[in-house]
Amino acid sequence: MSIRTEELLVNVGPQHPSTHGVFRLVVKLDGEVITEATPVIGYLHRGTEKLAENLSYTQIIPYTDRMDYLSAMTNNYVLCHAVETLMKLEIPEKAEYLRVIVMELNRVASHLVWWGTYLLDIGAMSPFLYAFRDREKIVELFNELCGARLTYFYMRVGGVKWDAPPGWIDKVKEFIPYMRKQIEEYEKLVTGNEIFLSRVKDIGKYDSQTAINYGLSGVNLRSTGIDWDLRKQEPYSLYEQFDFDVPTSTDGDCFARYRLRIEEMKQSLSIVEQAVAQFPEEGKIMAKVPRVIRPPAGEVYSRIESPRGEIGCHIVSKGKAEPYRLKFRRPSFVNLQILPELLIGETMTNLVTIFGGIDIVLGEVDC
Amino acid sequence: MKGIVKGLGVTFKNITKKKVTYAYPDVPMNMPDRFRGVQHFEPDKCIVCNQCARVCPTDCITLVGKQDPNSEKKVKIIDTYDINFEICILCDLCTEVCPTEAIVMTNNFELATYSRDDLFKDLHWLENNNTLVRSENSTNLQPKAKPKPKPKATKEEGVK
Repeated sequence: MSIRTEELLVNVGPQHPSTHGVFRLVVKLDGEVITEATPVIGYLHRGTEKLAENLSYTQIIPYTDRMDYLSAMTNNYVLCHAVETLMKLEIPEKAEYLRVIVMELNRVASHLVWWGTYLLDIGAMSPFLYAFRDREKIVELFNELCGARLTYFYMRVGGVKWDAPPGWIDKVKEFIPYMRKQIEEYEKLVTGNEIFLSRVKDIGKYDSQTAINYGLSGVNLRSTGIDWDLRKQEPYSLYEQFDFDVPTSTDGDCFARYRLRIEEMKQSLSIVEQAVAQFPEEGKIMAKVPRVIRPPAGEVYSRIESPRGEIGCHIVSKGKAEPYRLKFRRPSFVNLQILPELLIGETMTNLVTIFGGIDIVLGEVDC
Repeated sequence: MKGIVKGLGVTFKNITKKKVTYAYPDVPMNMPDRFRGVQHFEPDKCIVCNQCARVCPTDCITLVGKQDPNSEKKVKIIDTYDINFEICILCDLCTEVCPTEAIVMTNNFELATYSRDDLFKDLHWLENNNTLVRSENSTNLQPKAKPKPKPKATKEEGVK
């Protein structure tokens, strides 16, 4: 007796909880095996780049908060850094220290959200609560520093908006050992768990050549053994002064990406520790910038390492107060492109694992 | 099996720990001083320089000035001042550029309503929203601010 089979078309999203936003994946299934997957993006498109053409440089910064909303500080920085490079501005040391501290704390917060939601996706409820409990501490530090919990709008062209409030640096100092202890706890809770390991080991494998061909960056690239971190390769801000490692792995599977993100949190904490130890008490937090920022005519592309990979900002300036063209290279968007290839031949349950492992933020994908 | 048991150890350790959740609607939430909440507006201080409306990234501020009836000179006072909180992103730029601290940030953040129309706040609402003003501005808060600062030329270029 033969069984009649039929290809099944399944829509994952746009409101599926595992898509972390409004992302749709049209999946063709043969039984339980995926034969084709097509991502549909653009549900959250707001036209940031077009809007920016009619806004002054200071006004664009709050829009960058809303791109990668899990690490708004790095987005703030990439725009400010691009404008500052174009204007050849000298940034006060204290402002740079504050920037490095908040960017690295933000990296920890971003990876915590990833860690919590990833495990939530693959069926573990409680790690999410642990992650958000500890992320709350970072968010509260930011709330005290710049008055917002998510859309920080902390950096300005030429420096930062606020100086650290009294006692803030001490709070950061107290937070570092606390967080280290928590990361140890996370590893105890999840990393050795056999169910978790069977879900992520050898899943979503790709080699370094594929990663380069797709233009991946960040952890997605480093998990294939390529040592590429812009904080080391093209040091910006004060990163040359700090001693930290870039963790890499050669496995290229979801477990490798999990391990690397945990390791990155530890490295970020070590950078924050060094930065608060050297933090200058005195000093200005803003360079001398004119009230109306008019960078000289020209082009600039600046790139930095965001928690998700290489985030770049390309500005074409005609010497006016508004950019002629602004382009963001968003790591989430680029990293997402490998998804259809990875999904072919996988089962439906692995879809969530692979998709979560890439770590995208839909605000950034659609921009 | 060993890994699961180890993980359960963490779970059991955390059972006895104190709760970390906030009892928010029952217990009011206190935000730090720099918190960017809903703005407070002081009509007496406003010199109708239009800088806040021009610097706003989302164009959510609308204001109209009128001739001061108590002055012979060409002095403008505020007539209407509206903020549309449907699109306001609470970015703090309006309070940053205000030369007379007529518009300042407060820690109030409870904007939720049943109707979108309620999010359109006018001058009186913003004037009465005068609690929890950011401390760097609240020292200058007086019901009648006199003498008035000299109005700047309205043609002056703002940030944009």
